[in-house]
Amino acid sequence: MKYSYIKPRKKSALTQEMLLSFTFFSITLVMLLLTYLFLAYKNYAYVSDTILLKDERALLEKSIEKMKSEIVFIEKQRAFAQKVTTQNSVLKDSITNLFDLVPQRITLSEAKLLENGLILYGVTPSKDIYNFMLHAPLRSIFHRTYSSFYPAQNGWLNFVSTNYTDKEEELDSEN
Amino acid sequence: MKISISRQNIYLLSISFFLLLFVILFSFLVLIPEGKEYRIKKAHMKKELKELRNYQNFSDETYETLKNLQSENRHTIEAFETIFDIERFIKSHSSYFSSLNVTKIEPVQPEEGFSVYEVNTSSKISTPKTFYAFLDAVNKSDWIIDISFPIEFKREADLIKSSFTMKVYHNSVESNATASESVAK
Repeated sequence: MKYSYIKPRKKSALTQEMLLSFTFFSITLVMLLLTYLFLAYKNYAYVSDTILLKDERALLEKSIEKMKSEIVFIEKQRAFAQKVTTQNSVLKDSITNLFDLVPQRITLSEAKLLENGLILYGVTPSKDIYNFMLHAPLRSIFHRTYSSFYPAQNGWLNFVSTNYTDKEEELDSEN
Repeated sequence: MKISISRQNIYLLSISFFLLLFVILFSFLVLIPEGKEYRIKKAHMKKELKELRNYQNFSDETYETLKNLQSENRHTIEAFETIFDIERFIKSHSSYFSSLNVTKIEPVQPEEGFSVYEVNTSSKISTPKTFYAFLDAVNKSDWIIDISFPIEFKREADLIKSSFTMKVYHNSVESNATASESVAK
């Protein structure tokens, strides 16, 4: 006996509505997971990049420090070389002045240039010529000037002139 | 009035509810914190990158300064590195003297971080002018030489015998090591 006019059909839990909602949620879940994976990867990449950047910066810092110390050293070399060059030039000027200082009538036989003094040996026709032409300018240059004479064979006088400059510290302490 | 909901609809509603709950929880508990972290890390990296660029620029400027200094002072740098050679010195400066004798090099107390060697020199010159020319030449020589006191001039027949001490300055061992490191770099 039949109770229905239509034929019975199999019923499934996956109805069209169910499939639609599954599709919607699947797409949503995939998108969420992909976003999460993207963010996780980016975070990892940023962390490793930051470490690399820090390492690179540390290397740069080291290299800058090295270059700075080299610059300081070269500047020190330059200043020192300049000082030496100046000292040599000053020495040249001092020797030039010394030889210019000696008048033609006085003949030098020996000259010793010391750090704080000058010793001259020579021959002069007379004491007066020595005193006026050599002793006076020497006295204006040096703080202490001593002269001694002894006769030469030709009737002239041999002289030894010892001249010293006091250091500034000594002068200050005297004052 | 009786509301009749089919079993399938109940399934559909409950599954939809749980999935929605999962999506909301996942978004709030995982995605949003991860996104915040992403933003912070991105900003941090940008800051690091900017700092690195600043360092890079400063490094370039320092390198430029160093190269300029090196090229401007090449002669001085080389002079400090050149080891004093008596024969070479005599060969290059003998033209200023009638005779030139240079004695052995003796190391003395270092000055301002530089090694110092003393060289005693005795020579004969015809006029003081040649000695001035020698002093000029010393300033342009391959070494850093300081003519130091005492200097003696003594008349010997037609010539002037001069004797003086020269101080030759050289990079000390430590500074040499620094220099060689920089060259290797």
